[in-house]
Amino acid sequence: MRSSRRALVPAFAALLIASAGFVVACGGSQPSTPAPAVDRRPVVAALRAEPRSFNRLAAPDRGSLVVSLLLNARLVELNHKTHEIEPALATKWSLAADGKTYTLDLRPGVTFSDGAPFTADDVVFTFAAVYDPKVDSPIASALTIGGKPIAVRKTGDHQVVLTFPTPYGPGLRILDSLPILPAHKLKDALAKGEFAKAWTTATPPAELAGLGPFVLTGYAAGDRLELARNPRYGARGPDVHPGVERLTLRIVPKQDAERVALEAGELDLLNSELRPDDLKAVRTLASAGKVKTYDLGPAIDAEMLWFNLRADQKKPAAARPWTDVRFRRAVLQAIDRQAFVDTVYLGAGTPVDGPITPGNKAWHASGLPQYPFDVAKAKALFAEVGVADTNGDGVLDVKGKPFAIELLTQRGHAGRERGSQVIAGQLKKAGLTVDVVALELPALVERINKGTYDAIYYGISSGDTDPSVNLDYWLSTGSFHVWNPAQAKPATPWEAEIDRLMQELTGLTDASARQARFAKVQEIFVTNLPAIFLAAPNLTTATSARVEGLEPGPLYPYLLWRADTMRLAQPH
Amino acid sequence: MWRFLVARASLLVVLVLAASSAMVAVTSLAPGDVTTESAMFGATTAQVARERARLGLDRPALERYGLWLGRTLRLDFGTSFRYGQPVASLVAARAGHSALLAGVALICAVAIGLPAGLLSGSGRFPRTAGVVAGVSLVLLSLPPLLVALLLTFVAARTGWAPTSGMQSAGADAWGTGARILDVAWHLVVPVLALGLPLAASFERVQQAAAADGAGARHALAARARGVGLARWLWRALWRPTASPVVSVFGLAAGTLLSGALAVELVTAWPGLGRLMFEALATRDTPLAAGCGAAAAAFLAIWTTLGDLAAWWLDPRLRPEGGR
Repeated sequence: MRSSRRALVPAFAALLIASAGFVVACGGSQPSTPAPAVDRRPVVAALRAEPRSFNRLAAPDRGSLVVSLLLNARLVELNHKTHEIEPALATKWSLAADGKTYTLDLRPGVTFSDGAPFTADDVVFTFAAVYDPKVDSPIASALTIGGKPIAVRKTGDHQVVLTFPTPYGPGLRILDSLPILPAHKLKDALAKGEFAKAWTTATPPAELAGLGPFVLTGYAAGDRLELARNPRYGARGPDVHPGVERLTLRIVPKQDAERVALEAGELDLLNSELRPDDLKAVRTLASAGKVKTYDLGPAIDAEMLWFNLRADQKKPAAARPWTDVRFRRAVLQAIDRQAFVDTVYLGAGTPVDGPITPGNKAWHASGLPQYPFDVAKAKALFAEVGVADTNGDGVLDVKGKPFAIELLTQRGHAGRERGSQVIAGQLKKAGLTVDVVALELPALVERINKGTYDAIYYGISSGDTDPSVNLDYWLSTGSFHVWNPAQAKPATPWEAEIDRLMQELTGLTDASARQARFAKVQEIFVTNLPAIFLAAPNLTTATSARVEGLEPGPLYPYLLWRADTMRLAQPH
Repeated sequence: MWRFLVARASLLVVLVLAASSAMVAVTSLAPGDVTTESAMFGATTAQVARERARLGLDRPALERYGLWLGRTLRLDFGTSFRYGQPVASLVAARAGHSALLAGVALICAVAIGLPAGLLSGSGRFPRTAGVVAGVSLVLLSLPPLLVALLLTFVAARTGWAPTSGMQSAGADAWGTGARILDVAWHLVVPVLALGLPLAASFERVQQAAAADGAGARHALAARARGVGLARWLWRALWRPTASPVVSVFGLAAGTLLSGALAVELVTAWPGLGRLMFEALATRDTPLAAGCGAAAAAFLAIWTTLGDLAAWWLDPRLRPEGGR
């Protein structure tokens, strides 16, 4: 007995020493090696979901968008900071007197990552693929004007002519969404009608060829994509090359896991903005020099609260007082927007007056109708439309019958769930009963599409600051005209007026004329309030301290939209 | 024995069909479908309608189920709506990752739970037994999700293990040995998150079995003869009481499966649980059905192995009465 107990002591000591050796050998989340003279570790960026495909023309998701920005190049690039287009594969362009024909000079001497030369044939091929009915590309609608495609023809090995169906205000900025693909690699697939199935994520990396700053070297499904600097990159000229040899896109599905990974030094670039709850902790890290934060200002897009204004409703009109604009104005005046910002965004937000936030500097209009926070005024407006406290219990009713609004929002989106609760709480103070129901996104979208709801609190990403690129939202015929989509003819005079103004400004090329008309659109919008905008979050993103040279901007993706300027900070 | 194996194989087929049918039902009957993503990112109403027609989503649910069943019985598991790739290949890769995680978690649970249960049930270390019981109760109360979050937080603060993923960035360029070690390093947090609660349940079962066995005549006699502690624990205590513990291994499959989903999401482990969650969230019916089938097969095989192990230890438990 005693001998067995004595034997335990040296055995325990050996176990301790072995454990210590193991910990030392492993030494933290990175292998413990002497600090290298040059930092050769890949830059690691987070991706929220796997790309559906490496073929951007066949996949509309954000994962595919980010990968496409890294592997492919475009004719022009939309600068996410200035919101202006800049040359890329097209070095210069001119607009003919007809206002719809552009001649683009392409950059000579550029080759794909496999060495094949980039020519006008690749541009013609890419447009053909986008418009091919067998491809049925989800990005085709972004490149059609009034339902008609852009005509493309080559006038030389390095010159193409694009003819729009009509003069088009946004002009060439819509080309920012079109990656130029290699005709020599994909023309057979297009000819056979198999283009939509080409370049899935099962495609070996060696079969891909692109004009982007990086090439794909490996893909571990569900875990990460490995990329390396494209030595043949020249889309923005011979002097522009990424300063990073290797880039890893790590798939991190949860946003809190992403922030933890940044804190632990396992991530260099975030996928999206920081949540308000995380700002304080990350700013503390920034003060210690471990990360860098980038304040991007108010978001381009704000969440919106809208009511169901569709005509085909089963609920009787008396049960839908929100169809009267006075009710919607009352809702807006019952909500304290600064309190909303303080609660939902923890102070990191900007109250807004209308659909265009101050983050969209070129198109934001000032001097819009104001609806200041005023609960008494709100109650008076509610009473005008027959919603009043007739029995003195402090709760508004309709002719003595209980009245409640079901407010739907997206489950799992913290900002929207919190925002809905704040809206409900504020309206309750005015006596209005609001029941918040959080639904999974597919269920929410189905309710929106079927029109089976009272009110929704949700947000739509526009992708571009120019309102003419989002006509589906502004026009009464649009499928994204969410409060009353796809109207055969405008249901109201003010929607008819917005339709007229939007069609007009979309056909103009003079910027100030377009802006003047859009200011009028915003005024009409805010007067009639088909959707209520309360506040825009102030966007902040972060990177590790070892990455620099990025140009963050408030359009997604905030950091990787221009990866060719990224470089590693030099050690001091 | 052959009758048993045939019966279990039949049960496996039934389980697989039932689980995958349930997945088809859930994704078909839940509101929305896989075209939601396309609609949110710019596809027109007409394009969405064409996509639904191409994927057969415009057909009645029963008809879609019939078509799916017919293909599945021919061992054609279909193509993922979202990724456009064969479901079999998508599921196989991820199932391997989950099997690795579950296997190592089970080894960890056995390595911690059984010795802890033996020590605490032996009656020879009363104070240790109290501490172990307390720790086990706490771990039993904590769901794997919470354990994963706590461990991730600790790992982030201390740096003693990676917080997410399966391999380090750039691992593709490393040698095989380094990559194996790297995967092992990334297994630490998810394995502990899954394994610790399971170890607690093994400890409780082992403790109860050992407490019974410690009072048995052969065990008392061995002590009286002065048999060493390690030998006494192994031969006099564990071997006679192992059978009820091993039979619990079969039930561990369900615990591992249900825990794996949460752990894989928190730690970004690229396993079957995460793939199943994504397939359900995006209403990718063929992929969800494939994941359900794989999970059911895993459960059936694991419980069969658990039963076989129990019978090997205790022939009295065999269905033919030990023959």
